[in-house]
Amino acid sequence: MTAETVYEFFQVLERDKISFTYRGSFSNTALAMATELIKNNMDEEHSKLRNKLSFLMIESFQNIARYADGEDFDEPTEESDFFMTRNVGKAFYIISANLIDNDKIAQVKEKLDRVNTSDKKELNDLYKTVLTNKQINEKGGAGLGFIEMVRKTKGKLPYAFVKINDERSIFFMQIKLESEEVDENAPAKSDENDVKIDDAQKIHKLVSSERVLMMHKGSFSQEAVAPVLRMVEDNMHSMKLKMQKKVYHFLVEILQNISKHGYVVDNEREGIFMIGIRNGRFEIGTGNYIDNTKTENLKSQIDLVNSMSLEELNEMYRKYLREGRITESGSAGLGLIDLARETDEKLNYRFIPLNDKYSFFSLTVKL
Amino acid sequence: MQKPLKIKPTDDLPFVLLDSKQNIFSITGRVLPEDGNKFFEPILNWIQEYVDSPNQSTEFNFRLDYYNSSTARMITKLIVLLEKIQEKDKDVKVVWEYLGDDEVMLERGEELKSISYLPFELRSIKK
Repeated sequence: MTAETVYEFFQVLERDKISFTYRGSFSNTALAMATELIKNNMDEEHSKLRNKLSFLMIESFQNIARYADGEDFDEPTEESDFFMTRNVGKAFYIISANLIDNDKIAQVKEKLDRVNTSDKKELNDLYKTVLTNKQINEKGGAGLGFIEMVRKTKGKLPYAFVKINDERSIFFMQIKLESEEVDENAPAKSDENDVKIDDAQKIHKLVSSERVLMMHKGSFSQEAVAPVLRMVEDNMHSMKLKMQKKVYHFLVEILQNISKHGYVVDNEREGIFMIGIRNGRFEIGTGNYIDNTKTENLKSQIDLVNSMSLEELNEMYRKYLREGRITESGSAGLGLIDLARETDEKLNYRFIPLNDKYSFFSLTVKL
Repeated sequence: MQKPLKIKPTDDLPFVLLDSKQNIFSITGRVLPEDGNKFFEPILNWIQEYVDSPNQSTEFNFRLDYYNSSTARMITKLIVLLEKIQEKDKDVKVVWEYLGDDEVMLERGEELKSISYLPFELRSIKK
């Protein structure tokens, strides 16, 4: 993961007001934090959707957990389960992707096609039949979960199967929830702004190749990111305490940095954050807007800490602790010095000018 | 006698108790304020007043899980304030408690010890 990667994600998710992807352990804690994260990020105008969205997120997340192989989670691989929630325009999308045996595809496809082609009355009938008659379900009737999702969203469930080898495929499914009441009798209209399921596949590919455990794009107030920290913690149980502490420390510094210094666009400090694990090492990336008048100073600060040895960094850090930062120029903030001395690699960064007011700034560090 | 200062903890902020009557001075927990200046202002003000007429013997106790860099600066300010007590020929000491296997908090304690002029004890504790 490099600063370039962060920008690539940001571009792919350009239309997303809120975006969250997850490939860690599908535990109850992670689920609770994921729903809280989205709730904290939701605008007032979508508040009516909150409960429904939580319900659907839980349904979809637990569905993944149910079929997960139960092995201890170590680091995300190409085949890890995937969960995503995104807000584009007036709609929220929940996407799940998990492995499926190729010989079970036909069965799942049939269930999905049935719920996708049923009208309201047929769905209700199907729901009752499945509830009262377990037999039918086992013979290939629609699963209750799918029926519930369609009933709750009053929409269809787009899906895709992507073959990875002769035995298994990845099963993608997308749930769409709209803030405006959908007229149930009106024919389904195709919206140009609609987010297609192949969009989710593209994102899945990106998080796979970059070994991203978790990604969040949205507002970066302290309150909004608290669940992110808890989720990362939840995925570090098997690691040494020292590593856990270091990662946590890094995250706090880097996230608070966005919420403090990010450039405010449309009343929000928007940013993107991602954490990945590759070969046992953590990779953390952040991106946010920054005022063009501040880029030169920040750039020189990072270059400065990148040019210093650990000893010099420690010395500078201690000096600032006692004396405070004396001049703005020719020095770096405590947070930056701290990040630099905790990693044995250079801080990787990029500034991309977007207009005459602000630029996109991305930073990655490895632990 | 100075009125005690007590701050209740939250997920991101510590439990603080500064009580000269009971002779207890402690900060415990996570310290991750977005604005370190703001959170520490009442604490530093309290200490500022306390060091004018300190107890015969003062032991300041830190037992922290995490703290951010803006807090590091504030903790140092606090320690520098405590150094004034020494000038009054009274006893003052910092006790930095860390969980036995918490190397990060031990390292941070060592760092603070190295820049402080106070007796500074690093104390390993069990959960």
